[in-house]
Amino acid sequence: MAHVMTHPAPGGSQTPRRRRAWRDTLIGWSFILPNFLGFALFTLVPVLAAFALAFMEWDSANDPEWVGLENFARLWNDENFHVALRNTIYYSAGHIPLTLAAALGLAMALNRRLRGVEFFRTAAFFPYVTSLVAVAVVWNMLFNPTAGPVNLFLEAIGVQDPPRWVASTDWAMPAVIATSVWRDMGYYMVLYLAGLQTIPKEYYEAAMVDGANAWQRFWRITIPSLRPTTFFVLVMLTIQSFKVLDLIVVMTDGGPGRSTLVLAQLIFREGIREGEFGYSSAIALVLFLLVFTVTVVQFRINERRSS
Amino acid sequence: MIPSNPPKARVRRHLVKTAGVAAALALAVAACGGGGSGETAEGGGSTTLTITVWNLAKTPEFTALFDAFEKANPGVTVKPADILADDYPEKVTTMLAGGDKTDVITMKNVTDYSRYSARGQLLDITDMVKSTDTSKLAGLDAFNVNDSYFALPYRQDFWLLYYNKAMFDKANIKLDGPITWDDYAKYAQQLSQGDGNQKVYGTYHHTWRSVIQAISAAQTGGDQLSGDYNFFADQYNMALGLQKGGNALDFGTATAQQADYRTMFETAATAMMPMGTWYISGILEAKEKGESQVDWALAPMPQRPGATDVTTFGSPTAFAVNKRSENADLARKFVQFAASKAGAEAITKVGVVPALQDPAITEAYFGLKGMPADDLSKKAFEPDKVVLEMPVSDKTSDVDTILNEEHQLIMVGDKSVTEGIKSMSDRVKSEVLN
Amino acid sequence: MTTLREAPPAAGPGPSQAGPPPRGPRIFRRTLAYVSLVAVTLLVLLPLGWMVTSSLKRNNEVFTIPIEWIPREFRWSNYVEIWEQIPMATYLGNSLYLSVVITFLQVLTGSFAAYGFSKVSFPCRDGLFLAYIATIAVPWQAYMVPQYIMMQRADLINTHLSIILLQAFGAFGVFLMRQYYMSIPDELCQAARIDGLSEYGIYRRIILPLSKPALASLALLTFVSTWNDYMGPFIYLTSNELWTVQLGLRSFVGQYQADYAMIMTGAVLSVLPVMVIFLFGQRYFIQGIATSGLKG
Repeated sequence: MAHVMTHPAPGGSQTPRRRRAWRDTLIGWSFILPNFLGFALFTLVPVLAAFALAFMEWDSANDPEWVGLENFARLWNDENFHVALRNTIYYSAGHIPLTLAAALGLAMALNRRLRGVEFFRTAAFFPYVTSLVAVAVVWNMLFNPTAGPVNLFLEAIGVQDPPRWVASTDWAMPAVIATSVWRDMGYYMVLYLAGLQTIPKEYYEAAMVDGANAWQRFWRITIPSLRPTTFFVLVMLTIQSFKVLDLIVVMTDGGPGRSTLVLAQLIFREGIREGEFGYSSAIALVLFLLVFTVTVVQFRINERRSS
Repeated sequence: MIPSNPPKARVRRHLVKTAGVAAALALAVAACGGGGSGETAEGGGSTTLTITVWNLAKTPEFTALFDAFEKANPGVTVKPADILADDYPEKVTTMLAGGDKTDVITMKNVTDYSRYSARGQLLDITDMVKSTDTSKLAGLDAFNVNDSYFALPYRQDFWLLYYNKAMFDKANIKLDGPITWDDYAKYAQQLSQGDGNQKVYGTYHHTWRSVIQAISAAQTGGDQLSGDYNFFADQYNMALGLQKGGNALDFGTATAQQADYRTMFETAATAMMPMGTWYISGILEAKEKGESQVDWALAPMPQRPGATDVTTFGSPTAFAVNKRSENADLARKFVQFAASKAGAEAITKVGVVPALQDPAITEAYFGLKGMPADDLSKKAFEPDKVVLEMPVSDKTSDVDTILNEEHQLIMVGDKSVTEGIKSMSDRVKSEVLN
Repeated sequence: MTTLREAPPAAGPGPSQAGPPPRGPRIFRRTLAYVSLVAVTLLVLLPLGWMVTSSLKRNNEVFTIPIEWIPREFRWSNYVEIWEQIPMATYLGNSLYLSVVITFLQVLTGSFAAYGFSKVSFPCRDGLFLAYIATIAVPWQAYMVPQYIMMQRADLINTHLSIILLQAFGAFGVFLMRQYYMSIPDELCQAARIDGLSEYGIYRRIILPLSKPALASLALLTFVSTWNDYMGPFIYLTSNELWTVQLGLRSFVGQYQADYAMIMTGAVLSVLPVMVIFLFGQRYFIQGIATSGLKG
């Protein structure tokens, strides 16, 4: 709607209007082109090639062979795929909302004038840059079934028989989710901090004059004003959650058993490790379609809300 | 024997399945493809040979071999392509897919070897293998793909028992011959002591599945690709028993805390440890640098009751020639050199166990500074039979994944031994063998 | 005066249910804020602490069970040895070079493209944008090999240029900047157009200065992810003199064993530059509510 306003001229004749549309297209593309060229050549083309491979059998050395939907039929019957898909959805369902809330909470807490707040902000970002091995070791230590502080605490407040966390198939995923929320919250906090800067303080002043309390100001001003940021964070979080790999590899490597096996791990294993590039691409294509659907839904909702 | 222009698509279908066809295809492709491998500038002057290696700085055997080869072949320069050990196979797969021309490719494990050779990415060197005396070359069988060879082993690691001599002396246990697993479990109980930070475990089982599974297969004659795994049971019961009694570090803790076997042994947190021969050079180095005070020695892997021979498992490491190498003759020469006595001598000096078995080489090995000198250690070094850690076939990695997953579940106590073994069998049969 | 399109009506003029918040003693609330911040910070910094103490240990004392927080002896010499064992300075230099170039290109082309995607309208714009985002959803492992083959054909393997080309034009920056531009009122551009500014002029003179916080956070996040990237440089860079810090650290991992003390020493060293950048860079993306420049 904003772009209609750009060119109000309702009385203009057909020709200038078309010329203007043409001019806009040119200008738009001129902005996009520098990035698009690099993007298309180095990302889009290989991605499309990978999608094409989903319908082929390829061992990376000999010519690929067209097999139609065979890879997908195999996928349908592959128990590993089912397990990984379930685990990926489980992980995302925990990781997305918790990280979103933690990141927003941190950003709100640290977006104020407080002595030493720079230090706290830096600290909050640190998990994201800390070596993954260190993260895995320390969190696994915190979650240690017998001597870990988490379980000592649980026992102290009267929990009988606390979970065995990463040493059990039922509790490994919650432990992984907790660690990943901890790791990613600082990253998304940075985005929220930037977003918070766009809210004019006049809004808050007006609300204060009207007698709104902090809670009301948060819900009526902060949250709606942050919508573009939240949308971005939500989409990125969704994408990152569905293709989570490195933290899981270091922390549990999919175990115990298959209890934390995720799709990206399966793609890696079937592709580069086993050399079944067609099959691995098929898994990637399914993962892509899944994320794409979720993202489009998020887009739609966002559009409806903002209009 | 093969049409010069095979219908590629059809051939490829079976290619993954039968390595033999692949070997033939490799020949065919070599015959009709580029074919420019023989005519390289060999006419004197300096030639450069490129070789993929992992972790050059921390793997002294490579430098030792390259130096020896350069010395034996004046005018030749070896240029290593250094790749990180962690993801070595992934990088080599990618490089080969991109048509990389590095002359010699180091085969880190046999599974990857079978993949590269099946895809026709390695040069057939059967003629060279057949024309050399390979009777003393351990681990060569693993590279036999339907009577064709695409690589030659230069190094063969196998498993033995490391033990802390001081602790054994203190407990008045004397080792003078191969022990049984029952003895082993008994000693582990006797040697465990202390608590908390001072806790000393009788033994340490690293988290790899081979610690339980490969040794059972080797000593019972079981086949890890068969889909029947009852032969694992004794070993699992023994390991779980030790774990439950606090005589071995609990598996859950070991994985979660990323237990490091070197730490366990070098800080004297364990009295015994089954481990591969590669660790010999590691502990020699730690002692030399003063990083560890452990008084150690070697014993043969414990045996099943009634066994007369010493049986253990191991895995070879090999060199192969890249099919796309433009320097194939020199590359072949290098592969042959590495497997020869000269090559074996070179790597023995840095504490690595060569594939070539020879009394003189064993002698040289025990002449290294810091090696234990007792007879049992020497006996441990000459097992009667070394079985390949995991048989090679196109099913290997799928089976490996399943066995590993179920191994974890048994070891953390999520499944009983019987349940775990049953589920291994069911899964391997339905998901892989069907 | 311009009003923000997306802005909600501030709490209505009528009296709201709850009265003004009860103003507790200021000191008490401050203390509470600090105590909770410190508690969270401790939890956040725990693994970092482990990383630092491990960097001061002998290798075979890193993974003791149970965990040991204080080294048996402090080996400060690790920090000297690492420079001797690996060419750390070269690695740091390479990482810095790649991170700076990629960040610069990503921020420049990303924000430029984002203007096209948010403030200029033309056919297929949103579809194209969706395609951009969609590719982020494809795991890199899936198209790594096709991409490598392309690069090999272009003869770019084993050059820094390959990494730059692969990472500088990602969709992430475009997406981030577009979202930010969406929150800048169109009326602002509208007014500028009436004043006779071209679209490029609007981007340069109005949008760019307004989007400093977003540019700074994009720069920071791009820098950090390039700095920490391991798999990309690993696959594309073979020559040791081209390696980055992350590759250098992994060179302490052998086939069967690893030098964890050195890895942690290197990890601490590699975190320092990021920490400095964050500490000094944050004033750009946190200017405080008061200076936000979106007044009409």
